Amino acid sequence: MLSLDFLDDVRRMNKRQLYYQVLNFGMIVSSALMIWKGLMVITGSESPIVVVLSGSMEPAFHRGDLLFLTNRVEDPIRVGEIVVFRIEGREIPIVHRVLKIHEKQNGHIKFLTKGDNNAVDDRGLYKQGQHWLEKKDVVGRARGFYQENRSVEDRNYLFLILGL
Amino acid sequence: MAAASAQGGRTGGGGGSSGAGGGLSCGTGSSRSGLLDKWKIDDKPVKIDKWDGSAVKNSLDDSAKKVLLEKYKYVENFGLIDGRLTICTISCFFAIVALIWDYMHPFPESKPVLALCVVSYFVMMGILTIYTSYKEKSIFLVAHRKDPTGMDPDDIWQLSSSLKRFDDKYTLKLTFISGRTKQQREAEFTKSIAKFFDHSGTLVMDAYEPEISRLHDSLATERKIK
Repeated sequence: MLSLDFLDDVRRMNKRQLYYQVLNFGMIVSSALMIWKGLMVITGSESPIVVVLSGSMEPAFHRGDLLFLTNRVEDPIRVGEIVVFRIEGREIPIVHRVLKIHEKQNGHIKFLTKGDNNAVDDRGLYKQGQHWLEKKDVVGRARGFYQENRSVEDRNYLFLILGL
Repeated sequence: MAAASAQGGRTGGGGGSSGAGGGLSCGTGSSRSGLLDKWKIDDKPVKIDKWDGSAVKNSLDDSAKKVLLEKYKYVENFGLIDGRLTICTISCFFAIVALIWDYMHPFPESKPVLALCVVSYFVMMGILTIYTSYKEKSIFLVAHRKDPTGMDPDDIWQLSSSLKRFDDKYTLKLTFISGRTKQQREAEFTKSIAKFFDHSGTLVMDAYEPEISRLHDSLATERKIK
C-alpha cells in the first residue's frame, strides 16, 4: 500500500475531528456568504458591490473600479444620478447616468440613460421596442466607489497584456 | 538512531494496543476490515513538522489523550466537543437555508427570510465565541473514571494545554474533579517541546509518557493521603 505521508494527519483523526475540519471549512464559506447576504438586505440591492466593466463612464469611472450600491424604496431616482441596471434578457448590469425621467402621480417612473463617454443615449442597447427603463430593471444607485490609483497608461497596458 | 529508540519506546509502552498493530501488517485477510485497519495508523510513531506550532501542539495533545485513555483506561466524555459541533452545525444550517431560500425566491421576496438567517447566523457566532472562551477554555479531553463499585458518581479528569505562538514552552494542565466530594485539584507542567521531539520531528513517547504519568499520580496519591 502506498504510504502517503501527508495524509497521516488525516488518518490520525477520529470521526469527530474530521467532522470538525469539514465544519470549519463550511463556517468560513458561510461567513463570507452571510456577509454578502447581509449587505444585500441592508442596501436592498441584489448586488451591492459591482465592478465597472467598460469605459463608457469615463472620466468618472474607469474599468475595474468598484461601485457600492443601494436600492432603497424611499430614495427616488433623479436626473443626473448614476444607476446600475439590467436589461431584460441580458445578464450583465450596465452603469450609466439618468438623462430623462417621466413620473406619474403614483410614483411610477420611466427613465432614459446614457453613458458619459458615449455619443448617443442607450435606446440602442434596450430591448427591441423598449424605449424606457423602469424601476424593476434597476439593480441599485451608486453611492460610493473605490478606485485603485493607477495611471491610465498603466491600466491600458495591463488590459493589453491580459488580452482584453 | 533516534528512529530506533522511538520504535523501542513504541513496543515497550504500547502493550495495550498490540491488537491494532497486528491489523496493520496483515495483507491478505478479509478485504474490507483489512483496508480500514491499514488506514488507521494509531500505532505509527507520530512525525510532524517541528517548526509548525499548531502541529506540535496537536500531536502533544493527542499523545497525552492516548496515554490517559489507554494506560489508565478512562472513558472519554464527548460532551464539550459535541456542544461545539452542534453550535457550528446549526450556524451552517442557517447559512444553507438562506442560500436555498434565496435561490428559490429571487431577491426582493426573500428579504425577511434572509434578514432572519443573517441575524441568526451572527448570533450563533457570538454564542460559539462565548462557548469556546468560557465553557471550553483550552480543555481538549474530559475523561471519566468509572467507579468500580458502581455506587459513587464518576471522577472526572480534564486535560488542557497551551503553547504560545513561536514559543517552545508547552504547558499541560491536568484537573481532577472528585465524583464524591466535588473537590477540584489540578497539576501542571511547563516544558520546552525540545524535550519531547527528536531532530526529525518524531515524538518520543519515552520522554513524554513519564511526565503525564507523574502528573496523574501526583493528583491520584493526594486523594489517598487525605
